[in-house]
Amino acid sequence: MDNIVRSFYQNFIEDNRYQYILDGLKNTLIITFFAVILGTIIGFLIGAIRSTYEKTGKLKFLNAICHIYLAVIRGTPMVLQLLITYFVIFASVNVSKIVVSIIAFGINSGAYVAEIIRSGIMSIDNGQFEAGRSLGFSYNQTMILFIFPQAIKNILPALGNEFIVLLKETSVSGYIAMQDLTKGADIIRSQTYSAFMPLIMAALIYLILVLVLDQFVKYFERKMRNSDH
Amino acid sequence: MTTDKTPLIRVLDLEKKFDNINAINNVSLDVYEGDVLFVVGPSGSGKSTFLRCLNRLEKPTGGKILFDGVDICSPNCDIDIHRQKMGMVFQQFNLFPHMSIMKNLIIGPMRLQKKSREEAEALACDYLKRVGLLDRKHDYPNQLSGGQKQRIAICRALCMGPQVMLFDEPTSALDPEMVGEVLSVMRELAEEKMTMVVVTHEMNFAKEIANRIIFMAEGEIVEENSPEEFFLNPKSDRLKAFLGKVL
Repeated sequence: MDNIVRSFYQNFIEDNRYQYILDGLKNTLIITFFAVILGTIIGFLIGAIRSTYEKTGKLKFLNAICHIYLAVIRGTPMVLQLLITYFVIFASVNVSKIVVSIIAFGINSGAYVAEIIRSGIMSIDNGQFEAGRSLGFSYNQTMILFIFPQAIKNILPALGNEFIVLLKETSVSGYIAMQDLTKGADIIRSQTYSAFMPLIMAALIYLILVLVLDQFVKYFERKMRNSDH
Repeated sequence: MTTDKTPLIRVLDLEKKFDNINAINNVSLDVYEGDVLFVVGPSGSGKSTFLRCLNRLEKPTGGKILFDGVDICSPNCDIDIHRQKMGMVFQQFNLFPHMSIMKNLIIGPMRLQKKSREEAEALACDYLKRVGLLDRKHDYPNQLSGGQKQRIAICRALCMGPQVMLFDEPTSALDPEMVGEVLSVMRELAEEKMTMVVVTHEMNFAKEIANRIIFMAEGEIVEENSPEEFFLNPKSDRLKAFLGKVL
């Protein structure tokens, strides 16, 4: 018991090392939050373009570009995308690492969100679409008023999962020396030469965050189901 | 009831190909105001496709459709404007499940015709009363039976104040005991001289309320006649064979 207390003291209290964890957590949350927003915007646009193409045959050129984007992002490792964004794309520009991380994770997440949104739109019966159009609503109005609201309900669990995956995936941002939660814990390990405490602490914090997010998703799911008559 | 008036809908040499299959071949037809035109025929005869071409849910690959004198197949035509004047009722009802009955009925008039909520709701209540479903206005579509849903779907189309109503097998997805309530709403509409084009398998209903009946087979109009002649003296062999099977 004494050992554990001493180890805890040494790893987190001494020299205010808990600051590494707190700063890291803050950065992890910032990156995740803004990457979710960026990913949702990108995913929404691309999902809309792709389903418009599938439904009407229009936007052929844009659809082809989206295809390339999806293939590249989903076909290469996240860590490499992060490294390329930082060391290649933003090599000669002075941008903070946190912004680079947000952009890299947002662009990555956008590809997965896009496919979720596309599948959600395509899952809505075409009769709904025809009903909207037959009343005289335009394609865009029909999408916004009748298709999206029903699609969102269907894809909410998948979207929630994607965001949970994203939260955990940000743990690789240490590769560009971004001090996130994982990196913060690792810094403590390198100072105290004890791995157990800081790493388990970081893992616990991720676990709690994921469990909390999961409850949120379940709550919204229940709420959505309640409005389903 | 064919007069020398200009037709409300004039179909000229309509053609619709799916890949290489001709779903509709050289169909020409005039629909006049007040017509209650029934389209019957075996499944796969192209009658639903024909109906869906009338408001361009299917894009015709050839020919012309003049609605109120405007060629709605031309690329310059704003089809959304014309669809507001052509009510459509689907086999599968296609009510919006995420909206209450009232919302289903008022969203078109409010968004597209810029009616005030009061005006749109008053109109919706009128129609709901007529089909006997006023007490269900706050419910959601999935709380209703099939027959009730279809009556609401008819109301939704009527709320737009259409010049013509298109019915695509409106009773085919219904349990038998619910067919009557939908047909009686349609019968009332016909009595009020609403222009109607109806694709159906309900032969007796066609005999009762149609003023013209068309028999389609293999994408063509094989025969057109008044209801009496249609059933008593069918001319073509194909119609005779068809009537032999369904009557």
